[in-house]
Amino acid sequence: MDEALEVGDKLDTGADKVQERLQKRHQARIEDVERRKEAKESQSVAEEKGEYFYSAFNKERAAVEELLSGCSGADRATMTHRLEEATDRIGQLQKFLNDSVLFLTQYDLRQAQAALQKLQSTLAEMREDALPKKKFAFKVRTKAADKASVTPAPNPDADTPAAAGGTKRDGATASEQYGFSNMSDVLVTRTAEEIQKQDVLLTHLTNCKVRLLGSPSTLHLKHIDSCEILCGPVSSSVFIDHCRNSTLAFPCQQLRTHHTTDTQVYLHVTSRAIIEDCRGVSFAPFSWSYPSLEEDFSVSGLDKNRNNWNQVDDFNWLAAGTPSPNWMVIPEADRKTNWDTEN
Amino acid sequence: MGLLTILKKMKQKEREMRLLMLGLDNAGKTTILKKFNGEDVSTISPTLGFNIKTLEHRGFKLNIWDVGGQKSLRSYWRNYFESTDGLVWVVDSADRLRLEDCRQELSALLLEERLAGATLLVFANKQDLPGALSKEAIREALALDEIKSHHWCIIGCSAVTGENLLTGVDWLLDDIAARIFTAD
Repeated sequence: MDEALEVGDKLDTGADKVQERLQKRHQARIEDVERRKEAKESQSVAEEKGEYFYSAFNKERAAVEELLSGCSGADRATMTHRLEEATDRIGQLQKFLNDSVLFLTQYDLRQAQAALQKLQSTLAEMREDALPKKKFAFKVRTKAADKASVTPAPNPDADTPAAAGGTKRDGATASEQYGFSNMSDVLVTRTAEEIQKQDVLLTHLTNCKVRLLGSPSTLHLKHIDSCEILCGPVSSSVFIDHCRNSTLAFPCQQLRTHHTTDTQVYLHVTSRAIIEDCRGVSFAPFSWSYPSLEEDFSVSGLDKNRNNWNQVDDFNWLAAGTPSPNWMVIPEADRKTNWDTEN
Repeated sequence: MGLLTILKKMKQKEREMRLLMLGLDNAGKTTILKKFNGEDVSTISPTLGFNIKTLEHRGFKLNIWDVGGQKSLRSYWRNYFESTDGLVWVVDSADRLRLEDCRQELSALLLEERLAGATLLVFANKQDLPGALSKEAIREALALDEIKSHHWCIIGCSAVTGENLLTGVDWLLDDIAARIFTAD
């Protein structure tokens, strides 16, 4: 019995040893597999796997579907809100799909696209049902456009000093910008401290003389009648609209002239000047001068040696070869040379 | 890497987008285009017609069309609508007097069927000017919040300094890429 036990013990320990060895080998094998798996996974990220994509995609899709189905019966505001949220989430889902295109199989891709398309159409239907406002908005807009296209009609009157009515609106919107408006029969001088690097706007001036002694970054002139406006070097563009019977002088990078008649421009322009809807505009090289002009030129960064004053493009006259009848060069004999006689 | 993967990657590299840049005249469209492309901006003339630039950015090939904004050119804008992926609407933030004009032109564009699929990026340009309105003010003036038909975003920028140009274009690319580059 004792012996038998001993043998049994021995047998037991023998079996144990074998089992242990087996265990070890198994362990090693598992580790090896693990290692290989890891090596493989380090090359392909978890997110780049079909299953991950599949579950994440479906989860989000179900969420959006639920969101949409919860929509019916809700009041308008929540409805709009929900629809917008759904739009956003569908967009994100689409992006997710696009990002995953590289590692998905054709079949998965088709499936996902079909699902997205279905969502999109459901959303479109719901939007159509819930907010059939679209046509309405369209009508409102055209109405607004009609109104606006009517307003320019009385605008030519605004050029005359008597039409102060049209003046007010423009003046109010422009209040925060640097500049001045609604003046007549005055001489205005601004120094460099006031206008340097500013965007200057002058509107509704009649019979005024304006001297801007400095270098603004842009200059806008609108509704100018019978004025003489002289300005230092403008570092970018000058924009003129509805100006008549005036004399202007400035250096600038670009000049855009609109709805202007019978006006003389003494110009230094480093790129190009254009006119549109203009008549009787005439050009001559910039000849006005004031003490700090040189300094202001360097502040503006304009090239003093490049002046394209006589290369004017007319947007209403695109016939090549024949010069536009809307502008001309001022003959040398008629050019103004003495600027400050009346000061 | 299997052959199929290589092919797919190559295909991805060919991704091409067409961007249309519009806005009133003097908004700074050409300046934005040239600045973005790293060219000199001091010699730019008012655009008499249009400019096209093709450039590579973030692996995308961008065809940018910059069409003149003068009143007499606006009726030709529609010639450029076809197959536009992104619309860049440029606003002169300092030009308060024409904001209403600007709003009308934009809302008319958004009704265009051929632009229906395009993403809208609004550049509130000229933020370097002291009198420029903030992008919030522009957003309100142009009633952007009423736009439900297009994905849109407004970004304040300065074409002269180059500030925020990249931010805007990157947003636009992301949005377009999310829409159009699905599998074939």
